[in-house]
Amino acid sequence: MCDKTTEASLETQRVSPKATVEPSQYERKRVPGMCIKCKVIKPNVTIRRSLYCKACFVRTCVVKFRTALSRSRKNTTVPRTKLMVALSGGPSSSAMLNLMADFQRMELRGTEAQSRYEDIIAGHVDESVLFPDVQDSLISEIAISLSIECRITKLEDVFATNDEAPLFIKLVQSTLAPGALKDKICAHLVKTNDSISSKKRLQSLFSSLASATDREEMLDIIKTLLLIRLARKAECGVLLMGDSGTRIATKIVSLASRGRGFSLPFEVGAESSWFDNVVVYRPMRDFIMKEIAFFNMWTKQNSVVVPTFTTGAPKRASIGRLTESFVIGLDHDFSSTVSTICRTMQKLEPRKQALNSLPCLTCGMPVENDAQAWRSRLTVSKPLAVEAEPTIQSNGSNDVPSDEDGLVRADITDVVCYSCQNILTSAASGTTFPGATVDHFLKSKGPGDAKVDIVNAKQEALRKQIETFLLNDNE
Amino acid sequence: MPRQCEICNNARAILRRPKTGQRICNECFFYVFETEIHNTIVDNKLFKPGDRVGIGASGGKDSTVLAYVMKTLNNRYNYGLDLYLLSVDEGISGYRDDSLETVKRNKEQYGLPLLIVSYEQLYGWSMDSIVEAVGRKNNCTFCGVFRRQALDRGALMLDLDHIVTGHNADDVAETILMNLFRGDLPRLGRCTEIVTAGDGYIGRSKPFKYAYEKEIVMYAYLKHLDYFSTECTYSPNAYRGYAREFLKDLEFVRPSAILDIIHSGEAMQVASDVQLPTLAHCERCGYISSNALCKACILLEGLERGVPKLGIAKSARHAQELLANESAMKSAGKAVEPVHFELLRGKAQAMREQRQMKEQQQECHDCTATSCAFACDDDATGLCSSSKETRRCACADSNAETNAAAS
Repeated sequence: MCDKTTEASLETQRVSPKATVEPSQYERKRVPGMCIKCKVIKPNVTIRRSLYCKACFVRTCVVKFRTALSRSRKNTTVPRTKLMVALSGGPSSSAMLNLMADFQRMELRGTEAQSRYEDIIAGHVDESVLFPDVQDSLISEIAISLSIECRITKLEDVFATNDEAPLFIKLVQSTLAPGALKDKICAHLVKTNDSISSKKRLQSLFSSLASATDREEMLDIIKTLLLIRLARKAECGVLLMGDSGTRIATKIVSLASRGRGFSLPFEVGAESSWFDNVVVYRPMRDFIMKEIAFFNMWTKQNSVVVPTFTTGAPKRASIGRLTESFVIGLDHDFSSTVSTICRTMQKLEPRKQALNSLPCLTCGMPVENDAQAWRSRLTVSKPLAVEAEPTIQSNGSNDVPSDEDGLVRADITDVVCYSCQNILTSAASGTTFPGATVDHFLKSKGPGDAKVDIVNAKQEALRKQIETFLLNDNE
Repeated sequence: MPRQCEICNNARAILRRPKTGQRICNECFFYVFETEIHNTIVDNKLFKPGDRVGIGASGGKDSTVLAYVMKTLNNRYNYGLDLYLLSVDEGISGYRDDSLETVKRNKEQYGLPLLIVSYEQLYGWSMDSIVEAVGRKNNCTFCGVFRRQALDRGALMLDLDHIVTGHNADDVAETILMNLFRGDLPRLGRCTEIVTAGDGYIGRSKPFKYAYEKEIVMYAYLKHLDYFSTECTYSPNAYRGYAREFLKDLEFVRPSAILDIIHSGEAMQVASDVQLPTLAHCERCGYISSNALCKACILLEGLERGVPKLGIAKSARHAQELLANESAMKSAGKAVEPVHFELLRGKAQAMREQRQMKEQQQECHDCTATSCAFACDDDATGLCSSSKETRRCACADSNAETNAAAS
């Protein structure tokens, strides 16, 4: 483990060679065959065509992390708060926890004797309900070995009823000709009861999703959701996500491929204040996978293998898997692809509408207006006889057909983002989804611009519907 | 039992729709395909009645289907467009000469006027001679840059309002990905626009922006359209090849991916503090350019001077300075000075005025004088000042109407 003694020894190693080459300290010149930093020790690793020795490499990583973290902090005025480090146990998040622990130690050692962050807490989402092979004891050990408290939430907790998720979304297949594309997504908003365990519910959710791509997307959504909740519960105002540069590049491409361009800046940005009360930073964005691997090896940082739905599967198994193999392959052939994609992303900003739009019922990301109308104009599926005008109806009272079982259907099309519409339309009827923002959905928001008011009016109408029909789903 | 069409629930399904996976019949496929193009045209307000629209025709599947669909929709929905076929002859033997034969047949089949402009005629260099000078690598740069300009030149020769090209959804999605991979922000912002300004005078658009390549092929096949299909004999674009392969894989994993990528691309916004190049006009030929000299002029200069690599890859940075210093120097190359765009625009303007005058003459017969002085025609009525006076009293109403239509 990277404790204070190793840290200290690393620093002495760094200082001594530097002293001997004082004159050329500021020169950017490379000494052929020597480390690019100290220029006197034989290098151990090549990163982006630069050679580093062990000590200089570790030192560079530490500095890079600090810079990334303080850079993030500059732009937002977050009061002094606790900080949560999202820990999956994989190489990147383990390295991040290590670096964060080091950051905190340095701060405390400094002149101010008060760190920017009150406390560091590790937050872990236990996925053993889906992947029973992972040993969670190993993950909490990672935190314990760095003397950091680790809070764990289980994946199935997303189905536990609480204030943030009073109701769940139960999908209802709208009655359309078989095979025809749906232009509306209808659902019941239901309360869970204890007859079905959250565990079963979660498993049945994942088994009724149509493809591996959908399952991966859903897992990401739930994990983010749980981490945000965990951070709020632990009163952490800052959440660190351990997305490495390689991972961010992959994410950008796969999110774009799934139609998430609208929310992209929030989902991979260096910092995002989209979620209430929690600011998300991604300080590992300047590290590529190779750097993280070497950092972990040389600081003896433990990590575990975090399985996904498509681990070991052929590349066409899912969009995530395909993108990963593609980006890594492209980066191999064109060496700076990963950093180029990340830099491109940094220069994109969310659209103005995105900042004011409602959060998606399923994933919590901003919803575009008329996403479904856009789609149905471009995938016409009405026969010649019927006029092919889009018939997206408003949430009027006529729009609430009563089902045979007496439950009331709500049209949730306008409060689900484009990408989640993809998941919902292809999922089996009767699937229950955890809602990311059902609380938002139910609460009437404060006054906003006219557009928001219209949507709020719709929400209000919906809320009234469910008020009278507080449903039980054990039919 | 044969499967029924999932859209009309009537006829027998004969195909699985690539975009949605629905099993549908022939007629329904034609209907949805054409209607989606119509929706694209209407929703984006691509044309206005009376527009003269050129169809960029290569003889390949996309442009052949585009010409057919444009003609069909123009008749069906009364767009009121004058359609033209506009082809560029790059001078690639064994490829373009054959495909141009197809375009010539299309001209007869669809009854549309055709104009062919050639690199040889415009620049003095055919692609064959360029490849001879440049080699097999990088010659796509020349072809692409010259073609873009050649289309605009052709459009001005015909005095068109608009050019439509056969770029399909696959092309657009591929371009979005490619620009993302290599960090080309200005292009990332531009490539999702359905209408681009072109040279600032002629609009350009992609009615097939949301049409899947597979469906275009399917349409051409089922309609028995006459198109030419061969790869260009010169090397394909390697980097685009990566994006293309990736996109095909994505489409396999999730058929809606192509549409989803375009949706993403449209939603992305380049941050307001990122500096994007400003558009100006080329000093030499008057074409739209972000530098003092446009890319075509630089490439042409390189060819003329016998340094064909000028303006490609790394030398591109120095090319502007290099040319600014010694722009007067000319060697005895194949030397065809490209016609200045101002001249072309002037001619197009004159053609337009002549046409307007004819229309005016047909409208009211009071002014038959051919010596109408347009110089004093400051309110663009297409009439000389004397007949304007008489007209004003004679048929003020009809005049106002035609003016409104013309403007």
